[in-house]
Amino acid sequence: MAKTTPTYPTQTQPFSARQRVSNRLIGLFRISPTAVIGLLIILFFGVLALFSPWIMPHDPVSSYTDRVLQAPSAEHWFGTDGNGMDVFSRVIYGAKYGFGIAIPAVLLSLIIGVPVGLIAGYRGGLLDEVLMRFFDGLRVFPSIILALAVVAATGQSLLNVVLVLGVLDSPVFARVVRAEVLALRSSNFVESAVAAGNPTWRILFVHLLPNAIQGAMAQTAVRAAWAVRISATLAFLGVGVQAPTPEWGAMIRQGAEFMVSGQWWVALYPGLALICMVFGLNLFGDGLQDLMDPRRRAAK
Amino acid sequence: MTLLDVVNLHTHFISRDIDNQVRTAKALNGVSFSLASGRILGIVGETGAGKSLTAQSIIGLLRPPARIVGGSITFEGRELTTMPDAELNKIRGEEIAMVVQNPRTSLDPLTRVGDQLVRLHQVHRGGPKEASHKRAIEMMEAVGIPDPKSRARSWPHELSGGMAQRVLLAMALMNAPKLLIADEPTTGLDVTVQAQILDLLRDLVARFNMATMIITHDLGVVAHFCDEIAVMFGGCIVESGPVRDVFAAPAHPYTRKLVAATPERFRMGSAKSLSGQPPDLYNLPDGCVLQSRCAHATDLCKTPVPNIEVAASHFSLCHYAGKLDANPAGQVQA
Amino acid sequence: MIQPVLKIKGLTKRFPLGAGRVVNAVNDVDLTIFPGETLGMVGESGSGKSTLGRVILRLLEPSDGSIEFNGQDITHLPIGQVRPLRRDMQMVFQDPWSALNPRMRIRDLIAEPIKLHMKMSRSERDDRTEDLARRVNLGSAYLNRNPANLSGGQLQRACIARAIATDPKLIVLDEPTSSLDLSVRAGILELLAEIREETKAAMLFISHDLGTVRMISDRIAVLYLGEVVEQGNTEALFETPAHPYTQALLSAHLPADPSIKVSRHVLEGEVPSPIALPLGCKFHTRCPVAIDRCAREVPQVIQVSTGQHARCLRIPDGGNIIARIDQT
Repeated sequence: MAKTTPTYPTQTQPFSARQRVSNRLIGLFRISPTAVIGLLIILFFGVLALFSPWIMPHDPVSSYTDRVLQAPSAEHWFGTDGNGMDVFSRVIYGAKYGFGIAIPAVLLSLIIGVPVGLIAGYRGGLLDEVLMRFFDGLRVFPSIILALAVVAATGQSLLNVVLVLGVLDSPVFARVVRAEVLALRSSNFVESAVAAGNPTWRILFVHLLPNAIQGAMAQTAVRAAWAVRISATLAFLGVGVQAPTPEWGAMIRQGAEFMVSGQWWVALYPGLALICMVFGLNLFGDGLQDLMDPRRRAAK
Repeated sequence: MTLLDVVNLHTHFISRDIDNQVRTAKALNGVSFSLASGRILGIVGETGAGKSLTAQSIIGLLRPPARIVGGSITFEGRELTTMPDAELNKIRGEEIAMVVQNPRTSLDPLTRVGDQLVRLHQVHRGGPKEASHKRAIEMMEAVGIPDPKSRARSWPHELSGGMAQRVLLAMALMNAPKLLIADEPTTGLDVTVQAQILDLLRDLVARFNMATMIITHDLGVVAHFCDEIAVMFGGCIVESGPVRDVFAAPAHPYTRKLVAATPERFRMGSAKSLSGQPPDLYNLPDGCVLQSRCAHATDLCKTPVPNIEVAASHFSLCHYAGKLDANPAGQVQA
Repeated sequence: MIQPVLKIKGLTKRFPLGAGRVVNAVNDVDLTIFPGETLGMVGESGSGKSTLGRVILRLLEPSDGSIEFNGQDITHLPIGQVRPLRRDMQMVFQDPWSALNPRMRIRDLIAEPIKLHMKMSRSERDDRTEDLARRVNLGSAYLNRNPANLSGGQLQRACIARAIATDPKLIVLDEPTSSLDLSVRAGILELLAEIREETKAAMLFISHDLGTVRMISDRIAVLYLGEVVEQGNTEALFETPAHPYTQALLSAHLPADPSIKVSRHVLEGEVPSPIALPLGCKFHTRCPVAIDRCAREVPQVIQVSTGQHARCLRIPDGGNIIARIDQT
């Protein structure tokens, strides 16, 4: 009972650009649906942040004193807040802050964490112990408290918030990179690099870094989500951002007062936006691991 | 009596790539051979030629995206390609046994060696545990493991490479298989240990009248331990026949090159024409798989290739089989 | 009097395992290699051959003994001073897939030694890289690819190009063809022979496969449990091996020709662990011609014939030759 050998349909015409893009998206979706969905969410907010001047129906910081605390309507889709400003426009504009804080903070974490992870992992011994203990100590601190303390000491500004978050989160990247370096440092290509006469700094940055950075890359989206969340929390606590800046955390703070009196829209919409963005970042970060791992099996 | 008959076996790897396009790697393309009880067949070939895949197809261990898409495999008259898994499980480990490369990683690291042998026996034959235990010790003795009673209590990580390979052989023999498939049984073992294992294998084949398939890339092993040889390339058996005949008068250009590259025959300066790119299984050419790297290739080679019997039971998959020396297009190797 | 490229005396390497246990990987090895010469080093697992190769290049620190490279004692040189010397001593590794950084281009991998040790402009370096690729028969199209896109044979050629990039005086090759397919091996060996002809580099060719070693070596050293048990010219060693282990090794090798009769000395048992070395002659536990003395006395090196030396107590009385058992 032999089966007949199947013939496969061959592609006769080349794909158009649109088909190529959709093919690639479907292919990626099959590998990791979470990554694609997360990416789409992030892109959505990215568009909001970039194109806000053209999307916002109203100026986010001009107040209509005659329309304070109005419920959602055709004119103001998300209603107005305590200062008479359009919530919808403010929510759209607020996307800028999400990216504006998260991206520099994560970059800073990488700049600090990755070299430390490389050196600690490669050298091992006392240096490794000391560095890792120090970083462990950093992680043990409740980040909010530490951030509050630092900003209280150095002054209210967005830059300080970014600096604090960047430093606070670097241990994660250091750990991840260190783990990869531990696995890689006895591999053949490293030995080959030593045998060729590479000085240690080249071994670390030219040879190990590109190979050890995988895990760290996968973490970036997740840590960005953390940064967005923490910065919003800090703003909620009154740190870093001044009114009337349309930052979501600050808006939630303002809206919290009105929840009790029934004006739910002031806090809800920025809250939803925050949840969605963090969710998207987390999804993407989660799915990124699947995408980078070359194990794609899909039998027809 | 023919025990195993493989006819026109086609195995493909079917998957979707990152652009959602179906990609097919044609890994086995019309593999056919048969094996009788008590005979030892050696299968040789490069990496990717399909040797291990053939064994896995026979014993039914293919995992997606690999699938048998055509051909038949009959074992004692029973068709294996369409057999349901439950039935195949009865045959695997009992009538057909397989020994693989890397013996240490093939053993369950959390169970004592003797217990693994007993477990295998119990699954297939049942019966009282003492009987299984007794057989385990017998088999360990048969494979030359010294002091089997205390060795049976060893953990896999305590064994050396050679010892682990013997244990795997003992496992394979527990249920008196009719067919033994050994995938690179001596690769990675020291030469002196290899000699012991091969002698042992030949002894066992004679004693139990097993049919044996040895997959290896070592021509020396085939030359001295096998009765028949099958040379694979690009998923096809390009030459097959009795070992003496094939070595004495290889009839396929690929076999000729392989034999010419061995230390006993190699002369410095002749290696230039030897190797080439491995075949792209996703884009196999029409006709002969070796077209692009064969010195004798002509336009005829783009058409489907016949399997020609150049001598008794000696086959060559080549348009010019038997006529290579007369072919003006090629350079002839000694 | 030509100066040897490499001269090692009494080289020993021990790996401490803690709790007083030690792996005696290399034990008291003497070797000399001259320019243009290829010394083949043969041994099975536990012989210490790979460790020896690495200690010679100071990739591992020697526990004892001395290493003289081009007349200079490099045994205790600080690593900072060893690095510039690497221009003249390079290594080719066993597994080409893992020996090359998967994230770098072939071109950069080959050019790296040049970048590290030679002062050249970028374009000069590129020219030299392309020259090297041609030299090893690697198509220049592959230079801009990643290792993942090359076959085993091509990768090994790239490794060889990398190793000869700075015209080294000594090349250590650790099982360079063992991971490659049969059809590819011959090509690589031929390439190495050509390079040796042209550059007069000294080569240390480490392998477990006698057939391969025979094809490329001028002299051969046989290692067992970290010790050189026999050393000599290739043909002499193959024709008249003196040490029982060499004889067993030779007889265990299976020629790829069914018409050649094989007479085997199948050795009993397994290689002892390098943690617990046998007393006296290290081979005596498996030796078919061992006598009582062998368990007590450590054999010294005896000259068997011109250029051939072995360590065996039975050589003086002629009892070192194992009777051949013919096999049908």
